[in-house]
Amino acid sequence: MSYLVRLMLKEEYRMHSTYSSRRMFLMFPVIVTLFSFAIGVTSQRLLEATPLSEAIMFLHLSAFLYGLGVGAFGFLGAQYLERRHGQRNYVVTMPAILPMSFRRTFLGMYVRDALFYIALVLLPMVIGLTLSVPFTGFRLTSIGFLFLAAIVSFLVGMSLSFLVSTLYMRSRLAFGVAVGAIAAAFAAYGLFHILPIETILPGLAMHYGLPPFAQPGTQALVAGLAGGGLIAACVAGALLLVPDQYEPRSAPAEAEALPGIDARLGIAREYRILLAKEFVDLKRSGTVAKMFFSFVTPLIFLSFTAWFVRNGLRVPVGFNSVFYGAMVGFFGVLLYNWLNNVDAMDYYATLPVSVPTVIRTKLLAFLVLTTGISTAFVVGVSALNNDMRLLWLALPVMFITSVYMVVMTAYLTGLRTNSFLFDPAVLAQFSVLAILPDLGLTILSFTVDRDPVYTVGGIILVLVVLTAATMVLYRGIDGKWGRHEFTE
Amino acid sequence: MKVIEAHGLVKRYGPVTALDGVDLEVDSGEFFGLAGPNGAGKTTLLRILTGQLAPTGGEARVLGIDPARQPLRVKAAVGIVPEVESPPSYLTASEYLYFVGRVRQVPRLQEAIDRWLRFFDLEEARTTICRDLSKGTRQKLMLAAAFIHGPDLLFMDEPFINLDPIHQRRLKDFLLEYSAAGHTVFMCSHLLEIAEKLCDRVAIIDGGKIIAQGSIAEVRREDRDLETAFLRLVGERR
Repeated sequence: MSYLVRLMLKEEYRMHSTYSSRRMFLMFPVIVTLFSFAIGVTSQRLLEATPLSEAIMFLHLSAFLYGLGVGAFGFLGAQYLERRHGQRNYVVTMPAILPMSFRRTFLGMYVRDALFYIALVLLPMVIGLTLSVPFTGFRLTSIGFLFLAAIVSFLVGMSLSFLVSTLYMRSRLAFGVAVGAIAAAFAAYGLFHILPIETILPGLAMHYGLPPFAQPGTQALVAGLAGGGLIAACVAGALLLVPDQYEPRSAPAEAEALPGIDARLGIAREYRILLAKEFVDLKRSGTVAKMFFSFVTPLIFLSFTAWFVRNGLRVPVGFNSVFYGAMVGFFGVLLYNWLNNVDAMDYYATLPVSVPTVIRTKLLAFLVLTTGISTAFVVGVSALNNDMRLLWLALPVMFITSVYMVVMTAYLTGLRTNSFLFDPAVLAQFSVLAILPDLGLTILSFTVDRDPVYTVGGIILVLVVLTAATMVLYRGIDGKWGRHEFTE
Repeated sequence: MKVIEAHGLVKRYGPVTALDGVDLEVDSGEFFGLAGPNGAGKTTLLRILTGQLAPTGGEARVLGIDPARQPLRVKAAVGIVPEVESPPSYLTASEYLYFVGRVRQVPRLQEAIDRWLRFFDLEEARTTICRDLSKGTRQKLMLAAAFIHGPDLLFMDEPFINLDPIHQRRLKDFLLEYSAAGHTVFMCSHLLEIAEKLCDRVAIIDGGKIIAQGSIAEVRREDRDLETAFLRLVGERR
């Protein structure tokens, strides 16, 4: 098993380093270290606003969600096995031609990603905090316990995701029930207050039983064992569900949908047939449902956080419709990423179609898919919060931020968003270009009632700048991606 | 009239030189074959000539167009059969031909789709999404997609691989008729027996360099067939 994991780790490292370069890839943990160091140094001030126990809860929640994202091997493995990565192939598919089982390679994938992402993110985070010790006086033992507990939360997320996604390979109904059960557990905590969050996140329960919260004792031991047991049970369950022989789901014969959709999209002019193909792809690949959940989930999480801060923590922050408008725009990036992951695009290389044309088609698809749902969300949240008075401003904020965010992402990452966001240079540009305007709009939105004239003026100024930036970046797509090929 | 010209083409991938000063000319109406060992640079050369890849040095002209500067014009004018059969996973066979036809603005598209589906016996696959097609069926679909706009010049990378004998024969007959009608074919192939039967001229590439070029008789010289000549030419360099 160890040689398999070593081989898979090499494969993962080489795959990531081809996105930029080895040096740039190795910069990623350095950036995480520096970021964590900065957080450590400024923690005194941060902890004045948020109590340590809540900051730690958000950290565990983040580690858990990150694990959920990493561990969806059932979806990922199926994609590898169906060869939807063009000319690329991976060690995980080798059981098809070698005397080894898919269970073994899937377990290898799990161990590989656990090691890879702990080394890439969690370890640098801990190193950054350790480096801040001379300025903060944090105890090294507390940092060590934080590392241990964060690993438990990360692995619980990963294992749960592994189990649920392999369940999907067997039965969509069972998958739906499992997702419903997890959502119900979080609702029991967040909405009905009948389940403490430590019950769902044993890593957090373990952390609350360790310094600086308590002296190590039975609570930490029991929570640690519960976490370990949950991880082992989920991984074992997932491995039992991995089939011995992989057979892709055969789709039933399809009625010809493309010509009909093409005929209805006259408004898209030269992008018409490409856009029609995008919609057929999205429907048949099931990506629309994944996109819907990946868009709606953070929106629900955001609404819950805002509600929790206002009503749970009783912090008088003025979350209003304009704030939601800016946030909805920010989450649009997730959808653009999905649009690039539906299928390999090698076949475009043989057609008179350029990379910028396909990028623009994806942007159009994004607009068609999200405008309605984003508008509905902002209007809905405004109605629920009795905040319709600012809708006239919130809707343009939402629309302009969405278009800016997605055009900026397309400009920076082309058709390989997922890959390029691992390039620290691209990630740094993305962070600055995404966070600065969103932060500006968020801060301005909080002051809208205090000083309406100046605030609205400031927001309009930000929107004018974003519109101009959108136009510049949109025109820049040709220059930046015009010489690129689909098979690169 | 020369439809393909390459002068001093070089392609480097980091420290690896895939093409090392390739000179090549193909006349209109010629059936031209490119043979070479694995990794010799055949696919790289075909991808540069069809605008799929930019050369590191040298220049090329295809139908008078520079593929490095105007790749879309080259792709619009020629038909390309790639090395890997990879039609879009979620379109049906018929939809893929519709898609290609619309991108290439093929007149009387439905007629053309029906013709090529019939030619390659793809009617049963008409409503099956490409992900669920067999390798050979996907290869036939990629061939149909390359022929659908009736190009004057075809670039094909191993077009016979994965095809059953019935469709190999059908494709050979079609390509001979196509060439006889004055159209040009540029084909990369390991199948030297087929190349010997079909091609007017061949080039042999090894280590990124053209080591022999000419009519079949000129390349074969004293050898009994093209395969023996190939083994001799490549063997001499090892």
